[in-house]
Amino acid sequence: MKFKFFDANLYVGRHAKTVYKPAAEAEELIKEMDRQSIEKAIVWHIAQHNFSPAEGNAMLSAMIRKHPRLCGCWTILPPQTGEVITRCFFRDMKENRIAALRAFPDIHRFLLNRTVFGGFLDEVSDRKIPLLLSMEKGCSWEGVYNLLEQYPALLCILCDIGVWGTNRYTWPLLENYKNVYLETSLLAIGHEQVEAAAKKFGAGRIVFGSGFPERYPESSICEVLHCNLLDSDKKKISWTNLDSIISGVRL
Amino acid sequence: MKSRLREEFYKTGRFKDFPVYDLHGHMGSLCAIHFPAPDADSMVKSMEKSGVKMLVFCHHAALLSPDIGNRANIEAVRRYPERLRAYCAINPNHPKIIEKDLQSFDRYYGNTYVGFKFLASYHGCSITNPRYESALNMAEERKLMVLLHTWGSSDLCGPAQVRKIAEKYPGARILLGHSCHNAWDEAVKLTKDFPNVYLELCAVLNDRGPLEKLAGEADTGRIVFGTDLPWFSYNYYIGAVLGADITDETRIKILSSNAEKLLSEHIEIPS
Repeated sequence: MKFKFFDANLYVGRHAKTVYKPAAEAEELIKEMDRQSIEKAIVWHIAQHNFSPAEGNAMLSAMIRKHPRLCGCWTILPPQTGEVITRCFFRDMKENRIAALRAFPDIHRFLLNRTVFGGFLDEVSDRKIPLLLSMEKGCSWEGVYNLLEQYPALLCILCDIGVWGTNRYTWPLLENYKNVYLETSLLAIGHEQVEAAAKKFGAGRIVFGSGFPERYPESSICEVLHCNLLDSDKKKISWTNLDSIISGVRL
Repeated sequence: MKSRLREEFYKTGRFKDFPVYDLHGHMGSLCAIHFPAPDADSMVKSMEKSGVKMLVFCHHAALLSPDIGNRANIEAVRRYPERLRAYCAINPNHPKIIEKDLQSFDRYYGNTYVGFKFLASYHGCSITNPRYESALNMAEERKLMVLLHTWGSSDLCGPAQVRKIAEKYPGARILLGHSCHNAWDEAVKLTKDFPNVYLELCAVLNDRGPLEKLAGEADTGRIVFGTDLPWFSYNYYIGAVLGADITDETRIKILSSNAEKLLSEHIEIPS
């Protein structure tokens, strides 16, 4: 069976630190995706994390404009400062083909909770916009637990979940919040971790992510291709789950 | 870069022309992590599926529970003699156990052990501590493999400590587990300065770039594959070797022939 891949976790742009052969421009990213048979991707710009969420968001929007295979992902900040979240935020998302959001609370120095985000994240939940949280970039497990306690309907994709098996953190979340998903770029590093999560919670709770440019896309792809799951489950992970999530976004 | 091996592994999940050897494994459960499949049966099943002919491992119990010790290694190899060999765990905090294990080493050499494993950062004792000397002397005499857990930032098992050991024991085959992680320049330098030092790739493969650096600057005949199984997945780590900007020829050395050469100094590899 041939699998096509929809990548939840890759970024474009040059990191301020040394990262091996990143894709500086969208065209380079597309070339890398072609090499990997990754048909579509939710992409963000590293400047959103390292430099400025507002300017990084704008850089991303400009980059993906001509590339329908790339769905955009913006980074949010507290609404109070007005740096990113404005009155027309969701309309702007639609106009710029932005289908997902990221937050880096620990790096960007805010708390990802109801006091700060109030009704905004309720609306994100209602609109079924996925919020991607990288456990290696600016999120703590305690922060994720607090967030989901306050916004239990939030569609949340946990990315870069760590190289040490994290089942003791992730499985209670999968058990308690039906809209929580795990991304594979580091889930797949663990011996039989993809299988274990899929067998306990269903393959519908896992989405493919490569972690490019920091990780080899081949790693996650090989694990999805050759793990001990049915082809129908592999198909869900490689494509269908993320495709359904993105199709379900209401803007 | 077009790769025949990449295409083959994508299609079949293994290589038909050569076996893979894994020189860095463990076994059994561990307090800080939930492993879905840490037992010998599951591990050997994964090896078979991915075309891994032999794993050299050191059981977590041997490293971290002196009450169980190397018995865990011996029992596992006894069950899978065609697939497994072990590193005899050396815990410097228990010199009497070391003494006993070295006294009985001959009984298990080849059929069970091919060398020693030091886990200095977990045991809180530098690899240069005299408590390791009896094991290192034996490794020196018999050209045994010594798998060190090494980490760039560690003052127990970092490049400076490795240098002292490599210099003092030129006959021992010193495998730098994790290749002095994140101190790649120093790891390369160690291989250039000491012909008995080998780079092992567990954790190196977590990120893009380090393997390209090691393979570009060090002798590719001294880079070996390891996974920390049951920590990390064969598919994922072989995928990383396939994703790196290196040639198929280098990939075969890393995944297979370098380890085969090392192992064949101590055992007859089952056909």
